[in-house]
Amino acid sequence: MTWRDALALALTGVRRRLGRATLTVAAVALAAALLTALLTIAGTAETRVLDELSRGGPLAGIQVAAAEPDPGQVDQDDPEPGPPKVLDDRARRRIAALPEVRSVIPVVTARMYVVAPAERPDGRRLDPFLETAVGIDLSQPSRLPVTVVAGRLPAPGSATEVAVTSGWLERLAIDGGDAATVLGTEIEAAAGRLDGGPGPDAVRGRWVRLEIVGVVAQEAASANLLVPLAQTTAARRWTAAGTDGGRRLGLSPSPYDGLLVVADGLDAVARVRARITEVGYSTSAPENLIASVERYVGVVEIVLTAIGGIALLVAGLGITNALLAAVRERRREIGVLKAIGARDRDVLAVFLVEAAGLGLVGGVLGAAAGYVSARAVGGVVNGYLHEQGLVGVTPGTPVGVLFGVVAGSVALALLGGTLPALRAARLPAREAVGGT
Amino acid sequence: MAGAAVRVEGLTHRFPTRRGPLPVLESVELEIAAGGYASLMGPSGAGKSTLLSLIGGLEPAQHGTVEVGGDRLAGLSRDGLAAFRRRTVGFVFQHFGLLEALTAAENVALACALTGTPRPERRRRTRELLAAVALAERAEHRPAELSGGERQRVAIARALANRPRLVLADEPTGNLDDDSTMRVMGLLESLPAEHGCTLVLVTHDRSLAARAALRLELHDRRLHAAAA
Repeated sequence: MTWRDALALALTGVRRRLGRATLTVAAVALAAALLTALLTIAGTAETRVLDELSRGGPLAGIQVAAAEPDPGQVDQDDPEPGPPKVLDDRARRRIAALPEVRSVIPVVTARMYVVAPAERPDGRRLDPFLETAVGIDLSQPSRLPVTVVAGRLPAPGSATEVAVTSGWLERLAIDGGDAATVLGTEIEAAAGRLDGGPGPDAVRGRWVRLEIVGVVAQEAASANLLVPLAQTTAARRWTAAGTDGGRRLGLSPSPYDGLLVVADGLDAVARVRARITEVGYSTSAPENLIASVERYVGVVEIVLTAIGGIALLVAGLGITNALLAAVRERRREIGVLKAIGARDRDVLAVFLVEAAGLGLVGGVLGAAAGYVSARAVGGVVNGYLHEQGLVGVTPGTPVGVLFGVVAGSVALALLGGTLPALRAARLPAREAVGGT
Repeated sequence: MAGAAVRVEGLTHRFPTRRGPLPVLESVELEIAAGGYASLMGPSGAGKSTLLSLIGGLEPAQHGTVEVGGDRLAGLSRDGLAAFRRRTVGFVFQHFGLLEALTAAENVALACALTGTPRPERRRRTRELLAAVALAERAEHRPAELSGGERQRVAIARALANRPRLVLADEPTGNLDDDSTMRVMGLLESLPAEHGCTLVLVTHDRSLAARAALRLELHDRRLHAAAA
């Protein structure tokens, strides 16, 4: 008997007991859906948590401060830096040349006077205030520790766009869930410089009008305004051109306030940090935190997988039960098959094909349902996160998970079908006759 | 194709039960000539179906020899017995033994498939066999849509699918009315002449048994020539 014939016979068996086959497939599908959804949710949760730890930037990201390292704190994720140290192009090139360093992005900050919209939502007037702007190369957003909460990042070369942080929202007494309300509003900002005008403290401002295009969470520097690098570089140049070289306005002598270094991988972070420390700069990276979180998430993933696995096992037992019942009911039919020449392995093939078919159909339906369920759960979670002013998640089901669940369903169905199939194969041909 | 001579010598068979082996056949001796027609009678439980199973290779003999067309069945493996049934024997059962989910044509084609017949040849052979039992127009009907007599004719067509040298019919008319019985018996009795196969018929019906050239009766676990 060919596999095609076995398949045809298995199909006729399923057609004859369509109700039972449907219930069996439903059990497998439910279990497969549960497993798919749990794996997707666990995977997404892991990504989300790690994203949060790295603020959307690469997990292998390292922040380099314009300061010497404190020898007593080099092993900490977020050490207190030592005394200030100039971070210039020479240092940048040295760090970029270190082994296992993928990229180095400079960070330049500037202190600016800001005139925000005249009134806050609660009606109180907001006086002009001093604020720090952080400028970075925004052409490589995936390498930045920046997460867009609402809107978008400023265009990399823009001189008129700015993104603000939650600290800005707090200043304006805007709830995190209403972050999008600041989009499109304009602010005026100015870098100052002492220019020897009337009075010893006469400051002249270089005013620019900026449109808020995004709300972000960023950890590039302690600042509430995020702008393209060119804006802060120009602001610093203006301040430095003052009569005192910008010293009285707090301008740092270091051309860069920090560097964002991306290592080749998570496991390279510790080594790269050690090398940068040897170069003489303080670094920070959430490597210990990420490792701990990964361990915890790993445990959660194992538990969720086990729950899905148990469900699949129960479904497998359902297949065993259904096929055992089928064998009991079809004793005479199996006997007839053997009487007309079917071998034990032909009968075995018919039942195994039937089991595999039930597992395959159940697995495919379940994987699809699990994928859809995970998307639905993701939608609900996104709604909640947006209400909280947080970045949403996109539940991604790896293709491997889908194939794995389908393959697992088929394998388990085959396992569950083995006993009934063997029992059917070992039935004596005499069952065809009955009696004495 | 020539029919298969059947020779049984010293055949003894017991059914295993919880209270110990239950003797069914004792030292049965039987010889049917190739292309012959034998009937087998006996009360219920006498062992008629068991003897038919042993001759047809549905189960191995415990003691004694069964030889069909020169093939000794003793010592054949399960696969070996399956191959023997596939090559040599056609079965017709009282309960028809058709697969309910398959059409008449599919039931016949299944037997062809088991012999490894290629698909185009299967279709041709199936059409030919159903035409031979006058059921060509019912080929796509399932057993539930056929009368008892029609089902048994499909079963006969299936039994002939592998061009058997021996046809074993176990009370083939037990569930049929008189008209159907006559039609089915006409078909079966034509087999030795038209298909050259040996026919063994198990029946309770003395008048049908009497039509066979060799009439046998099982009682007290032994085989006897039937009274005329």
